[in-house]
Amino acid sequence: MSASRVLGLLLALYGRMSQRRIQSLRDQSRLMLFVIGIFVVGYWIAAYVLFRSGFGYLLRVPGLGEVLMDRMLYLFFAFLLVMLFFSNVVIGYSTLFKSPETGWLLTMPIRYADVFRWKTVETVFLASWAFLFLAAPFVAAYGVVRDAAPAFYLKALLLFVPFIIIPGGLGLLVVLALTRFLHRQYFKWGLFTLGTVLVIFAGWYLRPVDAAQLQQTELVQSLNQLLANSRIALQPLLPSYWMATGMIAWGEGWSGRGLFFFLLLVSNAMMVLLVCSVVSQRLFYESWSRNKSQGTIGTPGQVFHRNLLGDSNCTWLERLMSLWPGLHPATRALMIKDMRVFWRDTSQWSQFVIFFGLLGLYVINLRNVSYDWNNQHWAGFVAFLNLGASSMTLATLTTRFVYPQFSLEIRRLWIVGLVPYGLKRVVLEKFWLSSAWSVCITFSLTCLSSWMLQLPGWMTILFCATAVLVSLGLCGIAVGIGALFPNLGSGSTANRYDNPAKIVSGFGGTFCFVVSMVYIALVIAAEAVPIYFSWGGNLTLNIVVAWLFVSLLSLLMILVPMSLALHKVSVLEV
Amino acid sequence: MIRTEHLTKDFGNFRAVDDLNLEIGTGEFFAFLGPNGAGKTTTIKLLTGLLKPTAGRAFIGGFDIQQHPIEARRLLAYVPDMPFLYDKLTPREFLRFVGELYGMDRARIERGIEELFELFSLGEHAHDQIETLSHGTRQRLVIASALLHDPKVFIIDEPMVGLDPRSARVVKDVLKERSRNGMTVFLSTHILHIAEELADRIGILNNGRLIAVGTMEELRVASGVMGALEDAFLTLTRAEEEEGVPAPEA
Repeated sequence: MSASRVLGLLLALYGRMSQRRIQSLRDQSRLMLFVIGIFVVGYWIAAYVLFRSGFGYLLRVPGLGEVLMDRMLYLFFAFLLVMLFFSNVVIGYSTLFKSPETGWLLTMPIRYADVFRWKTVETVFLASWAFLFLAAPFVAAYGVVRDAAPAFYLKALLLFVPFIIIPGGLGLLVVLALTRFLHRQYFKWGLFTLGTVLVIFAGWYLRPVDAAQLQQTELVQSLNQLLANSRIALQPLLPSYWMATGMIAWGEGWSGRGLFFFLLLVSNAMMVLLVCSVVSQRLFYESWSRNKSQGTIGTPGQVFHRNLLGDSNCTWLERLMSLWPGLHPATRALMIKDMRVFWRDTSQWSQFVIFFGLLGLYVINLRNVSYDWNNQHWAGFVAFLNLGASSMTLATLTTRFVYPQFSLEIRRLWIVGLVPYGLKRVVLEKFWLSSAWSVCITFSLTCLSSWMLQLPGWMTILFCATAVLVSLGLCGIAVGIGALFPNLGSGSTANRYDNPAKIVSGFGGTFCFVVSMVYIALVIAAEAVPIYFSWGGNLTLNIVVAWLFVSLLSLLMILVPMSLALHKVSVLEV
Repeated sequence: MIRTEHLTKDFGNFRAVDDLNLEIGTGEFFAFLGPNGAGKTTTIKLLTGLLKPTAGRAFIGGFDIQQHPIEARRLLAYVPDMPFLYDKLTPREFLRFVGELYGMDRARIERGIEELFELFSLGEHAHDQIETLSHGTRQRLVIASALLHDPKVFIIDEPMVGLDPRSARVVKDVLKERSRNGMTVFLSTHILHIAEELADRIGILNNGRLIAVGTMEELRVASGVMGALEDAFLTLTRAEEEEGVPAPEA
């Protein structure tokens, strides 16, 4: 059977299944479809307005406006390229080596290369669609600010096709190489090392300006610094450079130059696919068989891993948890189990690390931008943006990782539900464990960013206290809604979901995310409005009132979903 | 129809299959027995090409599964212990898709579907999405999909898991009948009475080694136990574990 026939069959099959998914979503809950629709449109409008205002602001910088706007484009696509690459590595490993479909297809009379080709399509789609969704308002805003012709938007879409294929293909080649030449248990360490090297490189490249420069308040000097620090995005060998240059050219109406960079992207994308095809014929089956044939190993890293998280008679983790005074033994056992399960699922923690790694990079990079340090209004504004970014990232993580916890636990009710412990305690354990890690992360990031921005003491305390409240509130929402609206899949027990990514895609997951976002918006508004509207007035009183409101709101976000959830599980029949 | 030559598979330092030599003829019903962790599923994965052997070779219908995987798989059907299905498809759509992957023409696919739906009582579920089917119905569907292209070699791992007695009877009858008509069946199971009831020959694997192979009668003689297969199985595996007795030539 020809490669195109196999690809066509699988594409038609997945098309039909996607249609069914949308249809069942429509049949099950019109409300959810409505909520999703509102959220998508709301995001596009808000992001478009934000990007358009940003581009408009840059264009008004005398003499440098266009240069700065174009630089934003280069930077945007450079970051997109890096994120697409990592996203393809993580998703590629799952689709190639963890998906049961791969094993099934390998027993069919089709070539290994055809299986790999299909998995490439699946990986690139899964790894890229969300980024395209996020990038759409950016490109639209750029086109409008540039007064681009309507054909520009279609051409921009065309540019995206080869652009997403390049990091996709490269990511899969890295996956094949890591799997072929590295033990399965080292894959996550390999990926982690790659990420760390990238962060160190970025930290070195975006090194701080000296103290004298920090005192400079001239806009042009600040912009010079910005342009110097972002020069890496102008490397002409980067696909993101071709993408941005092509888009700028088509935006300006230079058809020939735009076409050149489009064809450059297409030819490189085809080259990457060709290399993938050749390499996959040699390596895919080898890598697959090797991945499935590896036993346990006893290297120092493995021993460390076992000692820390599992297998030994008494691990470091168990010893650490035993130091927690007054902790019920069953709660301790559940916490240790949850941490082990999280650690051993590569797709879970790698997404977690990528999210917070990028956020950490952003916070660290704050020192490199020449803010007007004496202007507390500006520093406070940036600090609010940080709080918003950290909280929204945390909301994504609590929805993705905390919300599915109870649904997953229901699958194991034969053990957890039958022990003399009670489901109420299970729900509370989920809340405390998720709160502990989320408070640690957001608190430290907020402290770091406040210190970087040289905020006054009262503002640092305000932001750190708010970060703690928001963490607890978001965990309350995720655990509470997770127990109130668990997603168990449909049909018999055998068909129930055991994949957190699948669990989160139902009504409960969407509802949890929307409630979390609304909560964050209310918190930020409650604190920002009194501060900015009373600048010079009775600030202390306003801040106290605002913080009391945020505390009350957070308490409600913890108590309402949690008490409803506790009531539900006390009368639960499964 | 199935042949292995010194087939060996290591997982790190652990040898899961150790120098397996086996020959199963056309139309033979072969049952593969062994305790948990004996290497049965690994052997099946080596026969189907899902794993690459550390040493040795496996042939299906004369084709080396590593050298000529597509030719071998055209003759082969495999039902694993935990089969994969596309949840959002209906049974009819799934069978059509499988038929198309095997390159069957549309008329033959539709004929096969009707016949198998009748045989496995799947007609009433033809338009339900697979995610709504019970475990037993899914198992029947998987077996039906494996039989659709009329395979010459049928490899099945724990076939009766989740099947009610009526469905189990149907599966056993279908496999036995197909075997009589020339299909080679390689059945791996823990349920000894199924092997006793259906198999022409039985192979017993322990710690990756084939410790006995032969007809029921030959196994009884080799074990020195004249009772049921269970007694012979327990005697043979215990003797191998305690004394390292080499595989008897049955």
